[in-house]
Amino acid sequence: MNTLGSLLTWLAEHGYEFVLAGLVVTLCVRNPRKRRTVVRILLILGGIVVGAIFLAAAYGKMKPLPGFAWSWASVRTSISFFAIQVESYQVLSPGAANTVAHLLPFLELFLGLWLVSGIGRRFSSLLASLAICGFMIAITSAYFRGLKIDCGCGIGPPEEVGPAALLRDGFRFLLPALLVTIGAFLIHRKPRGTTAASRDSLSPAN
Amino acid sequence: MEVFSDYECPVCRTLFELTLRPMIGDYVASGKVYLVHRDFPLPMHKYGYEAARWLNASARVGEFQNAEAALYDNQDAWSADGNIGKFVAGAMSAETFKRVEKLMQGCGGQAAEIKPAGLSSAAQANPGCAVDGYIEQDKALGATIPVRATPTYVITYKGQRLPAGSGVVSWPILKQFFDSLLSQ
Repeated sequence: MNTLGSLLTWLAEHGYEFVLAGLVVTLCVRNPRKRRTVVRILLILGGIVVGAIFLAAAYGKMKPLPGFAWSWASVRTSISFFAIQVESYQVLSPGAANTVAHLLPFLELFLGLWLVSGIGRRFSSLLASLAICGFMIAITSAYFRGLKIDCGCGIGPPEEVGPAALLRDGFRFLLPALLVTIGAFLIHRKPRGTTAASRDSLSPAN
Repeated sequence: MEVFSDYECPVCRTLFELTLRPMIGDYVASGKVYLVHRDFPLPMHKYGYEAARWLNASARVGEFQNAEAALYDNQDAWSADGNIGKFVAGAMSAETFKRVEKLMQGCGGQAAEIKPAGLSSAAQANPGCAVDGYIEQDKALGATIPVRATPTYVITYKGQRLPAGSGVVSWPILKQFFDSLLSQ
C-alpha cells in the first residue's frame, strides 16, 4: 500500500511534465487525423495523471499516522486528524468541517478512479478542474486572512498556505486537469467539415 | 499535546477559551491527555515576553493554571497598559504572589520599561531573570518544529510526533481526534 501511495504521489507531483510534453507533441503533429489519434492516446494518459492527483490526495488523507498500521481504525484516526486541518481554514463550523473531512477523501478516491477509468472523461475532468479551483480559492482566502496553516492537500510534504502552494497547485494540478478537460471536449466535437451525409457515406452499411 | 503560545496573541486566547479550557477540565483532569504549555512570544507583541515571564514564575510556585486563565481572560486590559502583575496577583493569594514577585525581581520590573515596542524577541532575554531560561528553551524547541505562528500544537502519541498544526481547532473536533487515537 505504501509503495502504491508513493507511486501515486510521484505521479501526482510529476505528471504535469508528461501532460506538457504531450501538449508539445500534439502541436507538432500536422495531420488532423493523426493529431486526433495522438490526442486520444494522450487523453488516456492525462486522465491517469489527473486521476493520480486525486488518488494521491485521498491516500494522503487516509494513510495511517506515524506509528500506526493500515486498518479501518487507523484510517478513521487519520480522517479525524484531517478534520483538524479542514477546521483550521476557519470557513466552516465544526460540524460542517467534520462532515467535509469525512466525505472529501472518499469523493477524491471516487473521482480519481473515475478519471483513470476514462468513462465520461469530459465530465470527470471538468469536475476535477472545478474541485482544484475550489481548493485554490480556499488557499487564497486563508492566505489573505493571514492564516498560517498547512494547506492539507495530502500530496507530498506539508506546505503552508500562500503563493508557493498556489503556484504548485496551479502548475502541477490545475494545469493538467484543464488541459485534459479542454482536450476531452475538443475531441468530442464533430470534426470540422464532416456533415451528416458524408458521415453516412463513410459508415460500414454503405 | 504541546501548545506553543504567545499570551498576547488573540488567536491563542481563542484556542485557550474554546478548546484548551474545556480540554483541561475534561481530558487533562482525567489523565487522558498530558498538556504541555510552551512559550513562544512573538516580537510583534509588546508584552508577550513579559507575560510569559509572569506565567513561568507562577508555574514555579504551582499557580500556572490560575494565572494563565487570568491573563487570557484579561488579555485586552493588560495588553493595553502592560500591567500584567495586577491580574497575576488576582489569581493567587497575596503570600504566593510575593513569591512570584521575588522570582520576577531579576527581570527588570515593569514590561514597558524593559521592553520597548519593536525590540526583537531575542533581545528580551535577560541573563539576570530566573525564568528567561525556560522561555528561551521553549523558543529553541519551537524553532526545531518549526513554529511559524502561534498557536502551534504538536501531538505526540506513543512516542510518535504527529505533524504540527496551527490556528484554532474546536474542542469537539480535537476531542474526536483524541477519542479516535485512544480507542486504538
